[in-house]
Amino acid sequence: MLTSRKKQFSPFKRQWVYLYDLLRELVSREMKLLYKRSFLGVAWTLINPLLQLAVFVFVFQVILPIDVPQYSSFVFTGLLVWTWFQSSLFQSAGAIIGNRALIRQPGFPNAILPIVTVSTGLVHFTFALPVLIIFLLIDGVQLQSVILFLPVLQIIQFAFTVSLSYFFAALNVTFRDTQHTLGVLLQLLFYITPIFYAIGNIPSTYQTLYFANPIVHFVSAYRAILIDGVQPNWFALFWIAMGTLVVLPIGIKVFQRQSHRFVEEL
Amino acid sequence: MGDAIVVHNLGKFFNRYHAEKPVTIMEAALSGLRKMQPKEQFWALRHIDFTVASGEMLGVIGHNGAGKSTLLQLVGGVGQPDEGQVRVSGRIGALLDLGAGFHGDLTGRENVFVTAIVAGLTRREVARRFDQIVAFAELEPFIDNPVRTYSTGMQMRLAFSVAVHTNPNVLLVDEFLSVGDLAFQTKCLNRIAELKQNGCAIVLISHDASQVEKLCDRALWLKQGRVAAYGDPKVIAGQYKSEMHTETLRRTPVRPPQTTRSGIELEVNRNRFGSLEVEITDVRLLPSDIIHSGTFLKIEIDYCTNQLIQSPIFSVAISREDGQVCFETNTVNAGVHLPEIHRNGRVTLSLDRLDLSGGVYFVDVGIHERSWAYAYDYHWHVYSLFVQPTSDSSILHPPHKWEMNGTHLIS
Repeated sequence: MLTSRKKQFSPFKRQWVYLYDLLRELVSREMKLLYKRSFLGVAWTLINPLLQLAVFVFVFQVILPIDVPQYSSFVFTGLLVWTWFQSSLFQSAGAIIGNRALIRQPGFPNAILPIVTVSTGLVHFTFALPVLIIFLLIDGVQLQSVILFLPVLQIIQFAFTVSLSYFFAALNVTFRDTQHTLGVLLQLLFYITPIFYAIGNIPSTYQTLYFANPIVHFVSAYRAILIDGVQPNWFALFWIAMGTLVVLPIGIKVFQRQSHRFVEEL
Repeated sequence: MGDAIVVHNLGKFFNRYHAEKPVTIMEAALSGLRKMQPKEQFWALRHIDFTVASGEMLGVIGHNGAGKSTLLQLVGGVGQPDEGQVRVSGRIGALLDLGAGFHGDLTGRENVFVTAIVAGLTRREVARRFDQIVAFAELEPFIDNPVRTYSTGMQMRLAFSVAVHTNPNVLLVDEFLSVGDLAFQTKCLNRIAELKQNGCAIVLISHDASQVEKLCDRALWLKQGRVAAYGDPKVIAGQYKSEMHTETLRRTPVRPPQTTRSGIELEVNRNRFGSLEVEITDVRLLPSDIIHSGTFLKIEIDYCTNQLIQSPIFSVAISREDGQVCFETNTVNAGVHLPEIHRNGRVTLSLDRLDLSGGVYFVDVGIHERSWAYAYDYHWHVYSLFVQPTSDSSILHPPHKWEMNGTHLIS
């Protein structure tokens, strides 16, 4: 190299250090921007789900009572898992068209963009965990050792969200209304996911179809390890993970092709 | 040294789509995906071959739309070629869309870290170079202010500084040198020369042939996506300029002779060239077209056009009767960006003092297309300037005095 370097990594190791630094810097940029743009800053991370929680508790405990034990913990778990999925997917749908300058940079690993968005969501999720633990303790939940599987669930959900993000971001290059359409679809998905009601309320005729929604399994799995203290449905999670592994490389390919097409447009 | 960039038989095509190609899912569903297919394809670049060795600088010239930017992107690995190969060894740095990656709400410091890491450095490497980057941009007092409080010039300086401190093995430069003031431009040029000396291979894109001639070791002339010429920059810049001249002649319409407001006869293709989309209606030399050497001169150019002309370039040259150019300037070199022009207007060039020797000179005035592709109107040897006789007959007559053993000699 041109200047003398005190510490010389091997090229391979340097690449990993580089990708880690890049991810960290871009995530911290997102956090800083959020923090600087609003008066309440990162507090929004908590205020948002807490307000939603208040609404659900009021509606489904006071007005139309639903019989679910430890309702606050139940809803809050669902909300955190859902918010992470929903906001990451929605935001990363704009990953290509909102980052022209980065994609035009020679040598920039485009595929990192949705990972940055989903990681930012994970940071928010992690910030909210202590509050969730407080809810669990208030509701008298005994934390079991299965809670240690939490990172495993997070990794699977992370990969799942990222692989979906690639496709939506790529589609957004061709159809600029993808993000809006996705917003509507996600709203729909919210209601067919057991966030404020229990799966038991679903009529058995619809059960098979209902379980085709992967988010159902994620929400159930988090509740199993956090509230019920039992093993999650590993079988379903295994198939979701396998599906993700197959889809992920295809997603990256499509994403890269579309991001190149996007910057080539004159 | 080895070749840092090897481009072999490179080709890239673009698709042209229907004008009403659906852009939303709704439209696509309604039109039944029929119009999604490209109408036609055209080669934006084809049969491009060149190599750039380490420590070498290649200049790519061509008009707007000749494929220069596409070529630069492909070399940078942005986009995939449809034909041929591009091989680049080492890390690529780029001076394109300077400052585009900056975020106004973040401080200069935060932006430097993000931009430099995005450009390929690790955090530790940025930290080590941080002071150097800021010092080069001359922004030490402002580095912790949000970038939105910076002027455009400051942002450019910072962006340039980050880009040249990433120590790339290959540097891609798109129409630069409009960064900041003249002093900073010189600094940029020096820094680029330094990188080059250290073995960095550089590709510079420009539509200014003289710049390529001055800076580059080799030149590539792109014309509608094909290589028109490749080789010695002097030769190619010459060819390019003469073709621009031919293009101007071709576009010059036939018109009966006109006279300017000051009564000088203008005859197309004799002392007037250009497409006449913009016309120079009058040129006045103030205070008068007879001046004393060392006094000021103001040149007022009146123009008129009935089209909307985007950022034209104005040029002024002062030449002797024999054609020797004594002084030449234009709005681009001065870093002045003109807005669009329409109808009538006046552009004035003020020279604080003109130290020409006595004699007869011509003030040649031109208005050119924004990328120098051709001239709108160029008046050559129309306006004469008479400088009162001086004692010398050379070109320059600066203020001067003679001394002997420290004593001033009075004439």
